[in-house]
Amino acid sequence: MKSAKSQLTALGAPAVIFTVAMIAFPVVYTLYLSLEAFSSTGTTRFVGAGNYTRMVQDANFWDGVTITFYLYFLSLALQLVFGTALALLLFRAKRLPGFVRSLFISPFMMPPVVAGMMWLVILDPSLGAANYILTSLGLPPSEWLASPQWVVPTLAMIDTWQWSPYVALIVLGGLQSLPPSVYEAAEIDGASGWKRFWRITLPLLLPTLVTAMVLRSVDLLRFFDLIYITTQGGPANASLTLNIYGFRTGFEFFQLGYASALMVTLSIIVLGVTLVLNRLRHAVAW
Amino acid sequence: MASRRQNGLGRILAALALSTAAGTAGAQDFDWKAHEGEQITFLANNNPVATAILKYQDDFTEKTGIDLKVDSYQEQQMRQRLLTVLNARSDEVDVFMTLPSREGRQYAAAGWYADLAPFTTESVSPDYNFDGLGKALVDAARFDGTLTGIPLNIEGPVLYYRTDIFEKCGVDAPATIAEIETASKAIQECDSSITPFASRGLKPALPYTFSNFLHNMGGQYMKDGKSALCSPEGKAALETYANLLKDYGPPGVVNYSFYQLTSLYRAGRAAMSFQSSNEFPSVMEGGERLNDTAIVPLPKGDGGSVPTTIGWALTISAFSDNKDAAWYFVQWATSPEMQAKLALEGIAPPRQAVSQDPEYKAWLEEQPLRQQWQETLDELAQTGTSEVGYPIVQNPESREYIGQAVDQILLGEATVDEACAAADQELNALIERE
Repeated sequence: MKSAKSQLTALGAPAVIFTVAMIAFPVVYTLYLSLEAFSSTGTTRFVGAGNYTRMVQDANFWDGVTITFYLYFLSLALQLVFGTALALLLFRAKRLPGFVRSLFISPFMMPPVVAGMMWLVILDPSLGAANYILTSLGLPPSEWLASPQWVVPTLAMIDTWQWSPYVALIVLGGLQSLPPSVYEAAEIDGASGWKRFWRITLPLLLPTLVTAMVLRSVDLLRFFDLIYITTQGGPANASLTLNIYGFRTGFEFFQLGYASALMVTLSIIVLGVTLVLNRLRHAVAW
Repeated sequence: MASRRQNGLGRILAALALSTAAGTAGAQDFDWKAHEGEQITFLANNNPVATAILKYQDDFTEKTGIDLKVDSYQEQQMRQRLLTVLNARSDEVDVFMTLPSREGRQYAAAGWYADLAPFTTESVSPDYNFDGLGKALVDAARFDGTLTGIPLNIEGPVLYYRTDIFEKCGVDAPATIAEIETASKAIQECDSSITPFASRGLKPALPYTFSNFLHNMGGQYMKDGKSALCSPEGKAALETYANLLKDYGPPGVVNYSFYQLTSLYRAGRAAMSFQSSNEFPSVMEGGERLNDTAIVPLPKGDGGSVPTTIGWALTISAFSDNKDAAWYFVQWATSPEMQAKLALEGIAPPRQAVSQDPEYKAWLEEQPLRQQWQETLDELAQTGTSEVGYPIVQNPESREYIGQAVDQILLGEATVDEACAAADQELNALIERE
């Protein structure tokens, strides 16, 4: 018995060591770095909570938090609405040819860098197709990503285009698992299609929607690649999310200590939101 | 006394004779195959310079027997990788590309560059001719006596303008910065479908073009150890640059970097485009702009003509375990022979002799615009400064505040006084941190 246990320990040890090395070490090291200050010559000194104190007084940090949450709520809301709509369409239109279904869900398979470059070209205010279409329809052109007011909604729109199909796939799975008996009962009672959606489908789908919210929340709060490709946090600082600010502080301005403090804070935010959503998931489970 | 002086002179002459003999011996003993079988790693920025060099990668291996491993990234990703590797003092990278005007002071202060000066005297092939490299660019790569890199190319922002549009609108080519504005106004009135003037508006990218405006208008980034963006010249430069883009630039110019500028000008949608000389091959792609374009340095201002002149350099990591073999690659890539080949790919040579090379001259003469491009670069080489952003270790961060000031004025978020004061405050704090 004892030998079986020790064998188990011996066999499990490499996996445990690997996990600790790959997950725990970077986390602990980042925490350690967040307590250090890097000079412009690369030397370090221990500053305790100095980086966190600086962060609280840093206007860019608070702006970054605001922009991060603005982008998060806007994108999440749009993706849940469009994702659910797309899922309902795919669920109902069972005769939709396979390639049309594939086309609908294809955007999220595209690497974000490619998507970013593509939208950069489409939304170019001078040469892009988007303004050409707007002006052809007699509508005023937009500055899209170059407008401080519109940059966040534009980024949310691009992300929605890319990730709504992903939400749709999750919701579609949920729709397929709903009990048909409830719908049959509703039909006998004469409930309209709209009523059935509001009173039956949506409440029963809530656990699935919260799962989609959890999965998208982690990505949206760490929103990076699309912004990095398209605006790098601009115009001025209008799309400088916490993640982009942290990246630029660390990798472009060499302040790895302060950047680590920003990233530790972002990780805590992500963890907090995930915990809240997990609670919500339990609350709406049926 | 006289004899002591003679002794001193004698010693200097003897030392000179010895060093010349040593140099000659170094050159004579030089063997391209000395490091055969070794491997080096080159971290490259995936730009036209590296692309042109790597076309001849097999020639290097054939000539030296050294196995060249290439890691190629986009510019910012390359710096990200470098920061990780060099901060860990890792020997993973032997040779890398660097912009001395940007990160030179920073990396030199961190001790990340190997000193290349000894290599240039002790381990050179007879035809290398280190002194043939542009002195200004070599000096720009020297920090506290350490030679941190060998120039690969010469570049700077230059004004591309459409001669046909100027002619159609009856406007003379601008001879001063003030005339850029009058010409832009006249073009706007003459043909509203054309963008009169375009230049960089993207925050971290614009100091490259803005610096030329500042210097030509008599400004400096620093005076008496303090940031001087709020000096009369600094404010005038900020206002002129931002207003030119605001009033005469393309929609969305605040996000413009080289890519958008090239696309706009090549598509025939801009009358003037102030952008990198490096973009010349891309701008001329397709040949549509070959016969209606002229290229000149930025017109002079109150401070005269002080073009921005920089260049990429090739350098060796201080943590490389294979510095000697790495130097062979640096030497091969920056040799007159290779730079003559690169010139024919549109990479402006940092060697005066290469620009006189018959084959290169014939290439230039094929098209008058190539000739103009080279003449403009010659002027940049003679009169330019490599000061892009603040001459401090934290140069990359200083560019952020310059860009922020310009963009705030451009977007109407702040007046010139407010923008320069906010930038000066951040920049003085940055200078003090040094």
